[in-house]
Amino acid sequence: MSACNTCKDTEKTGVLHIKKAVKRFGGKTVVNVEDIRIGTHCIEGLIGPNGAGKSTLINLMTQKLSLTEGEIIYYRGDEAINVSSKNLNTLAKLNLVRSNQIIQDFASLTIVDSMILANTDLRHEKFYKLFNDKEVREAAQEKIDFYLDYFHFDFPEGHALSAGEKKLLDIIRCLILNPKFLLLDEPTAGLPQDQSDKVIDLLQKKTAEEDMCVLIVEHNLDLIWRVCDYIHFMADGQILIQGTPDEIKGNETVNKKYIGEESNA
Amino acid sequence: MISFLTSGFFASMLSFLAIYVALTVILHLQANVAGVVNFGIAGFWGIGMYATSIFLLRFNINFWISIVLGAIVTGLIALPLARILLNLDGQAVLVGTLAFASIVENQIFVNREITGGSRGLGTIPMPIDVGPYRFIVYGLVVVAFVVALILYAWKLKKAPFGRLLFSIRDNELLSRSLGKPTFRHKIIFFAITCGLIGLFGGLTAPLHSFLLPMMVSPTVTFTAWIALMLGGQSKISGAVIGVLATEFVFFYLLRVILPLPAEAAQMVPFFIYAAYGLMLVLVLMFKPTGIMGGKRRGN
Ligand SMILES: Nc1ncnc2c1ncn2[C@@H]1O[C@H](COP(=O)(O)OP(=O)(O)OP(=O)(O)O)[C@@H](O)[C@H]1O
Ligand SMILES: [Mg+2]
Repeated sequence: MSACNTCKDTEKTGVLHIKKAVKRFGGKTVVNVEDIRIGTHCIEGLIGPNGAGKSTLINLMTQKLSLTEGEIIYYRGDEAINVSSKNLNTLAKLNLVRSNQIIQDFASLTIVDSMILANTDLRHEKFYKLFNDKEVREAAQEKIDFYLDYFHFDFPEGHALSAGEKKLLDIIRCLILNPKFLLLDEPTAGLPQDQSDKVIDLLQKKTAEEDMCVLIVEHNLDLIWRVCDYIHFMADGQILIQGTPDEIKGNETVNKKYIGEESNA
Repeated sequence: MISFLTSGFFASMLSFLAIYVALTVILHLQANVAGVVNFGIAGFWGIGMYATSIFLLRFNINFWISIVLGAIVTGLIALPLARILLNLDGQAVLVGTLAFASIVENQIFVNREITGGSRGLGTIPMPIDVGPYRFIVYGLVVVAFVVALILYAWKLKKAPFGRLLFSIRDNELLSRSLGKPTFRHKIIFFAITCGLIGLFGGLTAPLHSFLLPMMVSPTVTFTAWIALMLGGQSKISGAVIGVLATEFVFFYLLRVILPLPAEAAQMVPFFIYAAYGLMLVLVLMFKPTGIMGGKRRGN
């Protein structure tokens, strides 16, 4: 769809360089990734069987979990940031943003409030600032209007009720943060087909037009083949193969370890 | 009527009720807005009360400045406690704050050179000396502080910082993944609100006029919690209604309506706490969100 299908201008987006990253729970090694770069294309995919370690890898990249060994470097423009020296919230402020596989929501915030929260600058959130809500709302209004118009929620002034609405809201909150690098853990699971298509269209548009790249974890392989420029295949904690959709599709190991299983099931 | 309104009884009732409303509103901010289960209210209140009186009596500092200093001392003590406790789970916070309050009570008892220990600390005069009206004038000043606190709480819940606190209470990790430094906010907010508890502790000092360690007992904490649970945890009005339904009805209204013989009076508090317990059970059975509470929000 755009000129950036092959290689992204990584000066402006983010790139993650994973070096000998190991995560163990007790004695069990769950992630063991040698040396890879993620984010050198607009939209990349991370696929692999259940329990391969995909979500754990995302948690490591965003410091929701800390590494047992090795390091992950986040290149943001000409800055090189060792993610272990940061935490989940400071990385989000550095535009390394993640969504969640398991549905997450704020039970007491409405859909609109949730979006305002995501958009609010830290300097407005002070215990002595009581009269700035109007300013904060107005600053978010344009984005709120855009997302409500694009995705259409039934009661935006109410709470996200269905699993689909919550999932969608999770992704919208991420996009509001203006990520340079966005990690989406099964973004379309639980979404109706039309909403899922809209999410993907929007991601393609944003990665083409803005300084953003995306890593999608998905079991929906049709979607992966269709939208990803580059794919990482993970099994048993390791990245075994990387390549374009065509290369991955035809790969014997991938077929044996994953796709075969999927079609048998 | 006028003479009742200017009487010491009315002034004392008004002042104490106002103080309890304040403690319950602050508890509402801590527990229901920020999600910090503070069971150490008596401790922070006691620090404020004693610190204020010590500044006033031992250092001859003006009462109003002493109150501010007392609040600052309380907040500064709450700060490291918050650092230790607030990344633990709710039950640990509950136990930790409860334990903290009993340490405070004990320290007041032990450090008698400063606090007077069991001999007590006094006398703390009414700070605004306007003759016979000094009690009611002070009562109105306390009420003014409480009104200011309620306005602050009400505004805060609608402000961006309130939204942030709700997000932390609901789902701290999700809030962090949106870039919010949640731990820092929790610590600062806890220290500030504990400072406020200390401020109202300071305002209580002249009402007691003579301080004893046993005043800093967990009863203060439980009274605020029961008022909060009875009144309802979702609104500020719940805190006000809760205090009226407990302290006012049992300690003042019933005493005026049903004057008991003096020998029975000692037993009264025990019956009152039993009655609180019974009310709490009934409210939790029939309206678990409290008297002013709305519908419970499903997840
Ligand atoms: N906190 C934990 N403690 C122990 N083991 C864990 C923990 N979190 C994950 N694991 C294990 O690590 C492995 C990888 O889990 P992970 O969730 O990363 O897989 P995944 O590739 O995302 O799978 P799925 O496609 O099902 O989402 C699994 O075997 C899981 O049981
Ligand atoms: Mg997963």
